Amino acid sequence: MTTKSTAETDEIIICRDVHKWYGDFEALRGVSLTVKRGEVIVIIGPSGSGKSTFIRTINRLEEHQQGEIIVDGITLSHDIRNIAEIRREVGMVFQQFNLFPHLTVLENIMLAPMNVRKWPRPKAEERARHWLARVGIPEQADKYPGQLSGGQQQRVAIARTLCMEPLILMFDEPTSALDPEMIKEVLDVMRDLATSGYTVLAVTHEMGFARTVADRVIFMDGGLIVEQNTPTEFFANPQNERTRQFLSQILSH
Amino acid sequence: MATLYHNVRAVLRGEAADHFSLGHYLREHLLARPWLLLWLLLLTYITVRVVMSQLADAPLTTLVVLLVWGVSVVATAAAELTRRHSPATLWLSHNLYNSLTNALLTLLLVLVLLGLGRGFFGWAVTRASFTTDPDAAKAQLAAHEEPGANWGAVGDNFRNLMVFRFPREEDWRLWTLLAWLAVLAAASGFVYGRAVFRRSPLRRGLTLLWLLTPVLSFVLLVGLGGEGSFLPRLNPDIAWGGLLLTLIIAVFGILASFPLGLVLALGRRSRVQGVPAWLVWAASLALLAWLLVTQSLPGLRAATTTGGRIVALWPLLLLPAALLITRAFRGNLVALLSTAYIEVIRGVPLITILFMSIIIFPFLLPPGMEILGTWRVMAAVALFSAAYLAENVRGGLQSIPRGQYEAADALGLSTFAKYRIIILPQALRAVIPAIVGQFIALDKDTTLVGIVALIELLGVANLISAQPDWLGVRREPYVFIALIYFTINMLMATYSRRLERQLGVGER
Amino acid sequence: MTDIAPDAGGRPPSIPFWRDSRVLGVLAQIAFFTLVVAGLVGLGRNVAGNMGRLGENQLLCRDGSSNFRCAFDFLRLDAQFEIAETVIAYDPSDSYGRALLAGALNTAKVGFFGIILATILGTATGIARLSSNWLIRTIARWYVDLIRNTPLLLQLFFLFFGVILLLPSIRQAAQPFGLPIFLSQRGINLPGVALMPSFTLWLALIGVGLLAAGVVWWLLGRRERRLGRDTRRSLWALLMLLLFAVPGWFVAAAAGAGNQGFVVAADAGIATPADVAARARAALGVDDLSAVEAAVAAGELTPEQVEAATVTLCTVEGAPAEANAAAWLRRAAVPYDVERAPGPNEAIRAYLDGDCRLLVLSRAALTAAAVPNSAIVPLPETPLRLDVPRIEGLNFVGGLKLSPNFAAILIGLVIYTGAFIAEIVRAGILSVPRGQSEAARALGLSEGQRLRLVVLPQALRVIIPPLTSQYLNLVKNSSLAIAVGYPDLWSTAYTTLNQSGRAIQVFLLVMGAYLSFSLVISFFLNWYNRRIALVER
Ligand SMILES: Nc1ncnc2c1ncn2[C@@H]1O[C@H](COP(=O)(O)OP(=O)(O)OP(=O)(O)O)[C@@H](O)[C@H]1O
Ligand SMILES: [Mg+2]
Repeated sequence: MTTKSTAETDEIIICRDVHKWYGDFEALRGVSLTVKRGEVIVIIGPSGSGKSTFIRTINRLEEHQQGEIIVDGITLSHDIRNIAEIRREVGMVFQQFNLFPHLTVLENIMLAPMNVRKWPRPKAEERARHWLARVGIPEQADKYPGQLSGGQQQRVAIARTLCMEPLILMFDEPTSALDPEMIKEVLDVMRDLATSGYTVLAVTHEMGFARTVADRVIFMDGGLIVEQNTPTEFFANPQNERTRQFLSQILSH
Repeated sequence: MATLYHNVRAVLRGEAADHFSLGHYLREHLLARPWLLLWLLLLTYITVRVVMSQLADAPLTTLVVLLVWGVSVVATAAAELTRRHSPATLWLSHNLYNSLTNALLTLLLVLVLLGLGRGFFGWAVTRASFTTDPDAAKAQLAAHEEPGANWGAVGDNFRNLMVFRFPREEDWRLWTLLAWLAVLAAASGFVYGRAVFRRSPLRRGLTLLWLLTPVLSFVLLVGLGGEGSFLPRLNPDIAWGGLLLTLIIAVFGILASFPLGLVLALGRRSRVQGVPAWLVWAASLALLAWLLVTQSLPGLRAATTTGGRIVALWPLLLLPAALLITRAFRGNLVALLSTAYIEVIRGVPLITILFMSIIIFPFLLPPGMEILGTWRVMAAVALFSAAYLAENVRGGLQSIPRGQYEAADALGLSTFAKYRIIILPQALRAVIPAIVGQFIALDKDTTLVGIVALIELLGVANLISAQPDWLGVRREPYVFIALIYFTINMLMATYSRRLERQLGVGER
Repeated sequence: MTDIAPDAGGRPPSIPFWRDSRVLGVLAQIAFFTLVVAGLVGLGRNVAGNMGRLGENQLLCRDGSSNFRCAFDFLRLDAQFEIAETVIAYDPSDSYGRALLAGALNTAKVGFFGIILATILGTATGIARLSSNWLIRTIARWYVDLIRNTPLLLQLFFLFFGVILLLPSIRQAAQPFGLPIFLSQRGINLPGVALMPSFTLWLALIGVGLLAAGVVWWLLGRRERRLGRDTRRSLWALLMLLLFAVPGWFVAAAAGAGNQGFVVAADAGIATPADVAARARAALGVDDLSAVEAAVAAGELTPEQVEAATVTLCTVEGAPAEANAAAWLRRAAVPYDVERAPGPNEAIRAYLDGDCRLLVLSRAALTAAAVPNSAIVPLPETPLRLDVPRIEGLNFVGGLKLSPNFAAILIGLVIYTGAFIAEIVRAGILSVPRGQSEAARALGLSEGQRLRLVVLPQALRVIIPPLTSQYLNLVKNSSLAIAVGYPDLWSTAYTTLNQSGRAIQVFLLVMGAYLSFSLVISFFLNWYNRRIALVER
């Protein structure tokens, strides 16, 4: 990790009272959250509660309109330099993979390191192959995304994110578009990453993952963080009525 | 008809003789559908009329056709009834004789086509003259009561149709260019499709050669030096014509319109932060006030009619314009200007734009500067084509899922890199068929430059009828150049369809 | 959007403005806009300079001064050029403005008929492309491919110079299939329909029939819902309408029987129209008047004899009575001639001068004329009379006339655009998944209902947008009329431009006009598209 921000504090993400409007619909209604370096956070909540919106404001795929977001000491604002810097340090994995269909797997992974970090091609290729091996599909390097299974595509997407060597990893329901047998291969990779020191922010409804890996589980509803706690406490002893309701629905399946 | 078959089959098998009766069939299937009956009667009437007239015109052929038709209908019906189809009868029963209407229509159309074909063949071959000697042609044609085609006019003018007044001693330049293009095309067909060459220098080199082609074309077609040098400069207004000019304009039009078209498409889709509404309103109101004082007031004073007074108040149009900018475009001036350009150009006929390039363009230049007619027309064609290209590219951009933009953003790519590496390669690939379609349209549209005094293919064809040797010969060159256009455009269309399929494979 | 929410980031740690994405965006746009405007202004200056150099006063006011606001004053000057055919009255002494308007209306005329005919042709061809008959399919494909891949201008030239102008002269006009359609170098003459006075009555009766049909439709609809089965109400409604329309035709004809008539000398021995034919037969000594032409050709009769037996009518220019009398004389094959006068009084005078044998006018005019020594014979009448073109001298009279130029541009545009519409229709029909038809059949909808309720609404949604752009193309392509000499908007504008020298103004007007045509067409189709979108939901 080349650039380190000046504010080398323990708190890598600080959100204070973040609001976000879509037209006159308020999707985030004052979200505050502090994430420590190396912490693994799982966000859950009903559909439309603003989970995606929230994590997307953190790498500014969405603009927030009120409140403050500080990532690794950099305040998110309209400053174009800050935006570029933050995106370099925050990696994101999408529900729909969003691989680039016209590039091979290897090219997909090398793309950002070469164009954003300005690595020379040999180094980029070496790192790309490394990460591809790490997610378990080194032999797929020269295929096109369209030729891979969903689980393989999602693992390529993760490798693509990792190859940028981000400080923070964000997952937005990475397993929701997958068949059950593919979910496991992706979750294994995620679990591996979560235990190796990355700061992770994951939106997922894989309760097993939340229970075993998360340091903290956050429940969002109606654009607000309703409750947050350690996984054991959270699942055993939910405080809020909405949380209880939600959990009973999810776990009853 | 199928029901008729089934019923007759049942009768033939002796299965249920009472299941089929003609009376029942008529009642249930024809009389119950008065329109069908009426239509069948009309069709039969027309068919009989045509058969009669064809029998009078060409008894032998018509008899043969009738015979073949009758036999094949009977054979198909028999095969259908016995369920023993040969491949031929199966095809016939599906494609020509699958209903009463179709059986009749088939006969009718075959006869009409034969009649037309005979007429055309008589004109184009039997009664035609093929000699390029005008006097001999006259004599040959005079021998027929109804003279046929005078193909000699086309043969005699073949060079004119191809290159018109291109100097003969410079022909080698055209051959060189043609050879260059042929070699490059062949090499591309070999290199580009194969994954082995994806990162090879061969591919890069080839791309470089393609990029060099416009320069080479310019050097060869226009020339460099003065009189007597190796590559003397040619005046395109004089030297270019015929098919050569058609192709130059079409190819140039599509290539040159690319950069502008791309910018316009991106501009129209841009979602940049708009200029604040207050700024737009302030600027327009200030301008409005100024125009009202300097233009409208004197105008109002001079106007004598109500109409004149209303016209004098034209600066008020700024108000709806400002409303448009702030509301429809959210202050996005880039999108506004791109959209305005695209829509205006697409809203007016090419012919007005060509005439503008001839009539207005000289006024736009600083005094003393002059530009050749050919260049002006080519520029007009490119500017025209850009608006259409922009819409095609925009379609391609719209087909790229949002996720592609977001993934590129999330990886931290700059806007430029995002478009260069991720969006445009995909979008452009998606619009190749549309762009080929546009090239075909442009290729056809080049005929309009004839109206502004450049002599392209159609222009030459028109000139032939004014030659003393071939006075009034018009249809023949028209047919000939129609064939040229048809061949070129059909090839392009077929190629584009193939490309579309190829691109779909593997890389998706 | 943003205006509702308070501004971003609370108190952002002040960003230098050159790094603020919002400021940069706005600045870039303003710079770009200024650049474009400056470019335009620069070009405008060049124009101004060049105009001055050329010594043309583009901005002449009527008081002789020169001002920007008078740029369009030239529209009031006399046009002084002919326009071969116009929709509105036009004369070379009219203004440039009126000339341009006449041109624009000519364009609108081509556009209107072109769009209707091209839609019909295109739809038919598009369906033919999907025909189960291989021959039809193949012919349709060849038509589409051939037309779409060759230039329109070439097609127009071929049609005009290679077909229409090579047609026979007016005397030998071709009549395809023996129909009363005349093709000649003078263009295409089609039979028209002349409205007789009794037409109004017939129309009223049809109106009543429509009303009755509506009532039947409504009543049967209620019955259908009550009984829960089909009562064939469309058939009954149609029958109801016919019940009024068909007898109504005869009622109106009978009521109008006395509306028109002709005057003959009292001693001519003509009491009914049939007597006229009898007299002609007697004069020529033949039993069948339709055999006269053959007899002349065979030399049994001389043209002079026919001439002598020819019945001349005196009538008023454009009077329905003429079409009525002509239709009837034509049916009886009586050779006739027509003398047209500008008004009834002139017609009567011509009759009295002995220019003609019959005076054909409305009954009222005849009674008022009270010609001495004559009898009034009433003419039978039907609400509509076929008005078949007839050669008189060097021209066709009656029916519908398409000039060669108009015919060329109209037919050319229809054939060309039809090919494009065919592809759109075909794609539209194919775009409806087969499953939709199967589902409709499974639900027990009839074939008609399947097409009307399931397939068509979905296909139209795909068809309408590209169809719109084909309509726009048709109107724009009509500017090629200049190549075949039809005076459309662009053609008149070009003449205006050359005569007045006001190049820029004329171009602005022309572009504005074409843009308005486009806007109108898009508006209608968008409106229609929205409507079917609603039906679909
Ligand atoms: N681009 C947008 N425009 C308008 N409203 C939006 C937009 N994106 C999201 N919303 C709204 O914002 C709210 C939050 O959406 P968000 O996608 O964050 O929900 P989520 O918690 O991720 O739901 P899910 O579990 O279904 O993914 C929703 O009500 C949604 O309708
Ligand atoms: Mg979500």
